[in-house]
Amino acid sequence: MPKLEILSQPQREMLLNWPSPENEDSPWTPMIKPLSECKIALVTTAGLHVRGDKPFTTAKNGGDASFRVIPRVTDPANIVQSHTSIGFDRTSIYKDINITFPIDRLNELVALGKIGSLSDNYYSFMGALRNISGLTDEYGPKVAKNLLDEQVDVVLLTPT
Amino acid sequence: MEEAGLVSTGIALVEEHARKIKPPRILSVPFNFGNTLGEVNNPSFQHEILEATFDLLDRAEGPVLEIFETDEIERVVLSRSEVKTAAVSKKEDTFVELANIEANYEKWLGMNKGRTAVGLSSIGIDQFPAVVAFLKEFIAGNTNDSEIRPEQFSIAHFIRYCVDDLKSYYLESRIAVDPKASMNELYRWLWSETAMGDLLGELAEVMNESEDKEVKAVAFGIAR
Repeated sequence: MPKLEILSQPQREMLLNWPSPENEDSPWTPMIKPLSECKIALVTTAGLHVRGDKPFTTAKNGGDASFRVIPRVTDPANIVQSHTSIGFDRTSIYKDINITFPIDRLNELVALGKIGSLSDNYYSFMGALRNISGLTDEYGPKVAKNLLDEQVDVVLLTPT
Repeated sequence: MEEAGLVSTGIALVEEHARKIKPPRILSVPFNFGNTLGEVNNPSFQHEILEATFDLLDRAEGPVLEIFETDEIERVVLSRSEVKTAAVSKKEDTFVELANIEANYEKWLGMNKGRTAVGLSSIGIDQFPAVVAFLKEFIAGNTNDSEIRPEQFSIAHFIRYCVDDLKSYYLESRIAVDPKASMNELYRWLWSETAMGDLLGELAEVMNESEDKEVKAVAFGIAR
């Protein structure tokens, strides 16, 4: 976001009062091989999904924490966004999906040899959750397992 | 992810939240929501952001929070209540307006390799006039459901997905004829110069007064 001081007062207060978790530290998995040998997966909280897949919903318990699978080979024309948050610009992703879901940029990095390979599946959640228990207790671990099953080394996380 | 044995790196749009959450490796960027990699159709700048994000993988320990410094960013203003300027007195009828922008939408599809954000509601654009007719009746209090609503959607979510589709249809059509319009110019056009903007404003007000809690919950996002 631009600096908080240039936002409108309601926006600033909303962000400052957002119930984001407060952690003292974070888990840490060390890199054990060069990025050029790693398999990368893209995981976004942009609320994207394949056209025709179930859209994200306005849930009563603090947000829809479920996820959608987006196969890497999906034509961008078949990726849509149903994020329920009202507070972000949609026009940029109309013009360029890479603005939040950098699929072309990752393919270019593979072609350049800077990253090893890409996972067969990417994953999408919806951000702006007021209650993250579904994410931490159920859907997050499920996606992590799927990624490990695909021998993914590194996860790239993008918001919107 | 890290607890499961995966290495992660990512981008944050709200530095204050990143400081609280403390992800293992995170690059905080100063861009507007919806603009994570900085600039549309600017691969070299997007690669710069990604390179800075992947560089965090070289750190020996964490959590790591790196700030991506760039020039001051203009705040994008999205909501009807903030954007709407003096009302334009002469607007087309909503149905005429819908029909008139169809050619621009076709142009958008041509220039964007067929990619469109329209489609959440699963209602084809040929049925948009029927959607608008339903919304007008809903606003007037004459109906609270639509025969074109797919069974899998509640009425609240059907309205929301239709509104998302209508906003995408309008904004993509506008980009087709004014590709250089800024984000703020696009939203200002939708909310102050179109009959659809007025219709969605009225719809939001009616939904906000609804006794159906789900309809009321969805109302907040209708005119934004």
